[in-house]
Amino acid sequence: MTEPVLVVGGGPAGLAAAQALSGVGRKAVLVEKEDRLGGAPILSGYAKLVPTGEWARDAIGGMVGRVEGEAAIDIRTGCTVKEFAGEPGAFTATLSDGATVEAGAAILCTGFTHFDSVNKPEWGFGTFPDVVTTTQVEQMISSERGVRCPSDGRKPKRVAILLCVGSRDRQIGREWCSKICCTVSANIAMEIREELPDCHVYIYYMDIRTFGLYETTYYWRSQEEFKVKYIKARIAEVTSDGERLIVKGEDTLVKRPITIPFDLVVHAIGMDPNVDNLLLSSIFDIELEPHGNIARQSAYGGMGRTSRPGVYVAGAATGPETIDDSIAQANAAAIAALSAAYSTAGKAA
Amino acid sequence: MPIHEQSLIRPENIKTHDKLEIDGIDVSGHWSTFIESRVVTDYNEALEDEIAALPGGEYIHRCWQCGSCTNSCTVNAVNPDFNPRYWIYLIRTGMESELLRDKDIIWQCISCNKCTYACPRDVEPEGVMKATAHWLEKKGHTPKSPSIIFDELFAEQVIARGKIEESSIIRQFFKRTGQPLMQDWLVAMARGLLMKLPVGLMRRMGLAVLFRPRTSGWSKARAALEEYVEECEREQRRALGLGDGKPE
Repeated sequence: MTEPVLVVGGGPAGLAAAQALSGVGRKAVLVEKEDRLGGAPILSGYAKLVPTGEWARDAIGGMVGRVEGEAAIDIRTGCTVKEFAGEPGAFTATLSDGATVEAGAAILCTGFTHFDSVNKPEWGFGTFPDVVTTTQVEQMISSERGVRCPSDGRKPKRVAILLCVGSRDRQIGREWCSKICCTVSANIAMEIREELPDCHVYIYYMDIRTFGLYETTYYWRSQEEFKVKYIKARIAEVTSDGERLIVKGEDTLVKRPITIPFDLVVHAIGMDPNVDNLLLSSIFDIELEPHGNIARQSAYGGMGRTSRPGVYVAGAATGPETIDDSIAQANAAAIAALSAAYSTAGKAA
Repeated sequence: MPIHEQSLIRPENIKTHDKLEIDGIDVSGHWSTFIESRVVTDYNEALEDEIAALPGGEYIHRCWQCGSCTNSCTVNAVNPDFNPRYWIYLIRTGMESELLRDKDIIWQCISCNKCTYACPRDVEPEGVMKATAHWLEKKGHTPKSPSIIFDELFAEQVIARGKIEESSIIRQFFKRTGQPLMQDWLVAMARGLLMKLPVGLMRRMGLAVLFRPRTSGWSKARAALEEYVEECEREQRRALGLGDGKPE
């Protein structure tokens, strides 16, 4: 029972798993490939988080601070796992800096990769500077510079948010719903309306999936309090008349063609499987599910099991996931790893 | 742009009355125009299955009404009434009478396939348009288009002989489409041939007209092709509720 647990990835799930393990007196080795902890919310500069509205730098930054203050958590940033061998209770991981780590179990919290909008060229990202992604708008807000048109720094008067960019699209092999973009877009729309009350915000959707309680707190609140306009249309193309962006499509509910100018077009980008998943799959000898995420073995018993005993998974590494559910899954995976370790120790004794 | 909503009102539903009084209020004349609501009297629940049974219509069930097909449509850019997304909705909900209102523009699809590449669900809307035009013909709502007649003639000859003979196709095409054989361009072409007198070519053409070339050992291929075509036809007719009778 002295072996530490190897936690791979220092985002919300990895931080929560390490914190949970140290909370019950177990050691954890936290490996993070970037040179700082925090994962996507910190590294990509998210602004206010769903559902509490706390700033990412406070909420996730707070988690980072607590983990860094734990003596039982051995943090290895700027480092990846190169080799992983052994049995449950006695794994050996070789890291990219040459160090080896003895571990009783491993929890993979390797997260996701943001969809790259250049893969949908008809929507203008990479062609027109005023076409941006939700991540970029998050950065505009979290940097406190405010939402501005990148081309000339002006305050936008009309903003269009296009949903399902890189999600639910067979043409580019991404059939999944990324789960969070509807809610995040409603959140961003309200933040834009708050900062720029004269700016009109339109959300172009196919379906709205502000699931569960977000129906009232994001979907209806954005309409009733913030007058965000929702239009059922998948946009055909984003072009420019030289001054402003021109968005074309069909308002499908009233069969009306749309050709309408905007100052800023925002892509609500989806969550791709982590680009490193194939590599992780071969290093840890675990299976991926058909979309390319790390496959979970059971949804009801033994939370967070992968196809390899002793290796667990939590958070967006398993597919599109919210931050709070990622944290919950990490706690569940930590408990699963601990209970497996105790039962192995019991049998051995 | 004209007021878009006006296009949703059907002329036959606009009612004005020369002399009408309701509860003592005079509602006569143009200022009291009534618009009757559109009524769907019955749904054809089988319509989606019927379209799906025809080549090209197989994936219609995948549609989620995003409008990408209409957005990308070449014909829609010219004629806003040409709306594949809307027709797919009508077909899937079984609103046959609504669909039939557009029977004279559905065939206008030029098969540019821009929708095929835009569709996020791989519905292949171009195929659905083809299947729908086909359905309209089979059900007798529209006459066979010249291009279908040409395709049929072409296929008939290939199946019969494994080869085609252009002059007989042209002659039969004009016959079936009710056109005179003496077309200006055809006369000009024949005259040109005579003037330049390409003897070898004309001899081959003449022989082909007289002796009708046939691929050697074709009879087995012909039987197999005929059987397959008949089977497809039978299946399609059954799916469309046209009885399992012989192909037309």
